[in-house]
Amino acid sequence: MLTLNYRDSRPIYEQIKDGLRKLIVTGALRPDEKLPSVRAMATDLAINPNTIHRAYGELESEGYIYSVPGKGSFAAPVQAPLEIRRMELFQKIRELIVELRYLGVSDEEMIALVKEGEAK
Amino acid sequence: MIEIKNVVKSFDGFHALDGTNITVPDGSIYGLVGPNGAGKSTVIRHITGIYRETSGEVLVDGEPIYENPAKKALVASIPDDWFYFSSATIRDMMKFYRGFYPAFDMDRYEKFKEVFTIPEKSAIRRLSKGMQKQAAFWLAMCCRPKYLILDEPVDGLDPVMRRQVWSLMMADVEEYGTTVLVSSHNLRELEDVCDHVGIMSKGKVLLERSLSDLQENIVKMQVVWNSEDTPALPEGLQVLHTSHVGRVYTYIIRGRAEDIKGRMALLSPLMMEALPLSLEEIFIYELGGEQYAVKEIIL
Repeated sequence: MLTLNYRDSRPIYEQIKDGLRKLIVTGALRPDEKLPSVRAMATDLAINPNTIHRAYGELESEGYIYSVPGKGSFAAPVQAPLEIRRMELFQKIRELIVELRYLGVSDEEMIALVKEGEAK
Repeated sequence: MIEIKNVVKSFDGFHALDGTNITVPDGSIYGLVGPNGAGKSTVIRHITGIYRETSGEVLVDGEPIYENPAKKALVASIPDDWFYFSSATIRDMMKFYRGFYPAFDMDRYEKFKEVFTIPEKSAIRRLSKGMQKQAAFWLAMCCRPKYLILDEPVDGLDPVMRRQVWSLMMADVEEYGTTVLVSSHNLRELEDVCDHVGIMSKGKVLLERSLSDLQENIVKMQVVWNSEDTPALPEGLQVLHTSHVGRVYTYIIRGRAEDIKGRMALLSPLMMEALPLSLEEIFIYELGGEQYAVKEIIL
């Protein structure tokens, strides 16, 4: 369900976090759907189970997943977007805007792009 | 837990280990790295009870391991030069191992027939190097060790088999809390599997940390300065390495990315990016200070 990119400079636990987060926010993992167990993921990806524990732990504290002792981890119901993640994404957009301006894209075109995303 | 406390081992006056301290917590996967001749294999031979320390202590599971059969039964190892009796088949070797390891798991032995591609009827010594290594894994994993000690474990294994054995070991770590100590030069691979790392050099441990700690405490900054000349960096930043290509400066700095970013931002650079370092880069920069670096030799 996840693939790791070994040429990626991000640490593995962050790749797992980002991967799972993407699955949850896109709805590929429905609310209350069970996530793969740590053991299954560790053997599947051949990586340290402690790394996966860490990624799950952080996703839980960020509110994307919740865990039931003895049962495993589950995708949390979608709530209001979390402040930290919002900031992160805004920063990314800012970087993109700087580059788009450099390429001569006008503000109107960018606004049109935002609207286009909304229409979908 | 495996504890190596201030161990000195001398061979005819040469100190192969010179006050080595290593602690491997239970349930962790510990990667032992270091340049050739640093003493990694010597450490491993102490943990498996083959060498007796000249001074210091080697404790496995709380007791000295040397001449201690009860604790040795908990330790399985795959050495860099394995041994099989002449004309012994995997089955013969299994019987030999079963005699020494009370926890030897026969069910597992049978199941592994599907995993490993070793013909059961042929003498192991006549098989290829990779096949012999597979046999070593087969036997070691069946001992159900609490401590698994691996010296250059996946050398000679094909990519599928590599992944297969790591995956089997990861399952054991998660399920039974097996502690794994692995020495290797393949840092890319260690990065995936280890949670603790010890870097050795000349019989000493230079640093020993959890991998996440290690990676979060050293950062690569790529900076483009506003002015033509480079401003002096803020005081107190521990810069390990500086290089530049054109106007892009690369600094390797000890510390947390956010702190360093905050301090560098005061110099108002044109562009600034903090990048995590791979284990390989950490290894090179940490040992660079030890007068051990890639030398530019013209031939």
